[in-house]
Amino acid sequence: MRIEVRVFSGLEKFLPNKSFGEPLPVELPEGGTIRDLLLKIGIPKDHVFTILVDGKHRSFDYTVRDGERISLFPPVGGG
Amino acid sequence: MAKFLRVDMSAKQAKFEEVSDKYLTLGGRALTSQLVADEVPAVCDPLGPFNKLVIAPGLLSGTNAPSSGRLSVGGKSPLTGGIKEANAGGITSQKLANLDIKAVIIEGKPADKGFFLLKITPDGVEMLSADDLAGKGTYEVTAICRERYGDKVAVITIGPAGEMLMPSAGVSNNDSDGNSSRYAGRGGLGAVMGSKGLKAIVVDCPKTFDAPVKDPERFKAAAKKFAKILLDHPVCGQGLPSYGTNVLMNIINEAGTLPTRNFKFGRFDKAGEVSGEKLAEVATARGGKATHACHPGCVMRCSNVYPMPDGKVCAPIEYETAWCFGPNLEISDLDVVAKLNYICNDVGLDTIEAGCTLGVLMEAGVIPFGDGQAAIAALEEVAKGTPLGRIIGSGATNAGKVYGVTRVPAVKGQGIPAYDPRSCKGNGVTYATTPMGADHTAGYAVTANILKVGGFVDPTNKDGQVELSRNLQVATAAIDATGLCLFVAFAVLDNPEGLPTIVEMLNAQYGTELTVDDVAALGQNILKVERRFNLDAGFTKADDRLPEFFSTEELPPHNTKFDISDNDLDEVFNF
Ligand code: SF4
Repeated sequence: MRIEVRVFSGLEKFLPNKSFGEPLPVELPEGGTIRDLLLKIGIPKDHVFTILVDGKHRSFDYTVRDGERISLFPPVGGG
Repeated sequence: MAKFLRVDMSAKQAKFEEVSDKYLTLGGRALTSQLVADEVPAVCDPLGPFNKLVIAPGLLSGTNAPSSGRLSVGGKSPLTGGIKEANAGGITSQKLANLDIKAVIIEGKPADKGFFLLKITPDGVEMLSADDLAGKGTYEVTAICRERYGDKVAVITIGPAGEMLMPSAGVSNNDSDGNSSRYAGRGGLGAVMGSKGLKAIVVDCPKTFDAPVKDPERFKAAAKKFAKILLDHPVCGQGLPSYGTNVLMNIINEAGTLPTRNFKFGRFDKAGEVSGEKLAEVATARGGKATHACHPGCVMRCSNVYPMPDGKVCAPIEYETAWCFGPNLEISDLDVVAKLNYICNDVGLDTIEAGCTLGVLMEAGVIPFGDGQAAIAALEEVAKGTPLGRIIGSGATNAGKVYGVTRVPAVKGQGIPAYDPRSCKGNGVTYATTPMGADHTAGYAVTANILKVGGFVDPTNKDGQVELSRNLQVATAAIDATGLCLFVAFAVLDNPEGLPTIVEMLNAQYGTELTVDDVAALGQNILKVERRFNLDAGFTKADDRLPEFFSTEELPPHNTKFDISDNDLDEVFNF
């Protein structure tokens, strides 16, 4: 299955030639989780704090489905 | 000896007075709201002689407690008709606290026209004519005052919007570099200051961290511990200093609750173009700064310095401002956002209200969505005082009435900020119920709803939101009394040592024996005082509601409506 990943707020340093927010298409076997995804694209898990899948908060164990939009963030805040 | 400075603008006299016991342990919002409740008739005309403008440093301001230099400005709001506390960074709070001034109370109203400047120094107080400053923007006024009175002075001032008594005029003060961009922005207190004939207050004090402390050793230890608590927290210690508050743009957008095109959509496909990441890139490339402190002693340094193409700088561009002039108007050019921000700072207008109002004008078809140059031209009308300029300065609700717009994002007459209440429902509860009118800072449920700070409460579900908002409103009122920047809350919510350490600082400074429970009681009491004022001013339950369209129109991408019942909203203040 194919998903679309976006990383922000400094996580882009782990993805050569990608800037923040730039969609990265990733192929992942059926049943793959966010954990598997991070391993595949080379982002250390302890740098990721918020995982949004189609705008909903999910955990590292979430099983990804085809076509989903996955956004990854380190700890951020403001107001 | 702690003192009040009471300034009678009818007689043009100022005098110091002793602080009675009742007010000795109050500061910041606790003090401004209590003084307004005690001294201002709730039914008075906000721009008349009976309203007062109260300016108070927080309880910990002027000490070496980290990030404690926040200033509270209070009064009856010409925008909402209720009580108002607007909170600002900048360098004034520390100076007032080091002069041992607990509050400046400005009252009365001059019979004649003309503007004045109040000068406060360690040697005393002087009232000077400011007719030569009248009509000038805040940047110029601040520059002139720093030239006349020394480049270390703090300058509180209003722009032409405040002089023209516009209901969304703010009160500015400056950062250490002299930028008049640190605003007590919301609720039109700039118009209250203007109605008193006061153009500026200059505060000169050579000290920054020497406000009286009863037990300095104990205080020092607690302050050091608190700084460590802040720096150890990933948001306060790393997130805020890296990208500033505008780091929120992308996460709020991805979460689908970024109000776009006057609250029509929850995502803006060009949000990244006006985000904190982009801002840091451009600011650094142009020789600006991605991090900056709004006052000495802030360890979180969320501010930034954005050089504009015309050679001026806008410092800072905050998330709410980037949102209200960006996605809210479907504008994706950071230079346009910076320009709109700068115009507001200079003319003396609250940015959030100005952005919401431009959104309403775009909804009405007066100017097209996405047209940055048209937005700039419209905002430039404010300084000229033309009819369009005055409509913009009168806020979103008034503009909606003038143009027959029903989709007006506002509560109690004040514009709703940068998180759509349908997919960030905790903030929806806060907007509806805070005594301040729609205000994100009053109970920032974005923490648990989106940022996963202080737990997690699903933002699109109504469960748990009332309790979340209630707890945050109580905690926020207390923090606003301390003079600590509200952003300490990220660490305090996650670290059980946080609140006890704040209490320890307060006790060491004032020789009190407060407990953590007393702090919660203080927060509750502030809210009760404010609610009572609003009740006496004529507010009812009907004022604690969101505009109708939030419960009838679905917000994509989650297709949510605001569905928290009236009964549940009425439970927020059940203490
Ligand atoms: S965190 Fe930001 S707003 Fe708060 S005191 Fe520091 S610089 Fe000012």
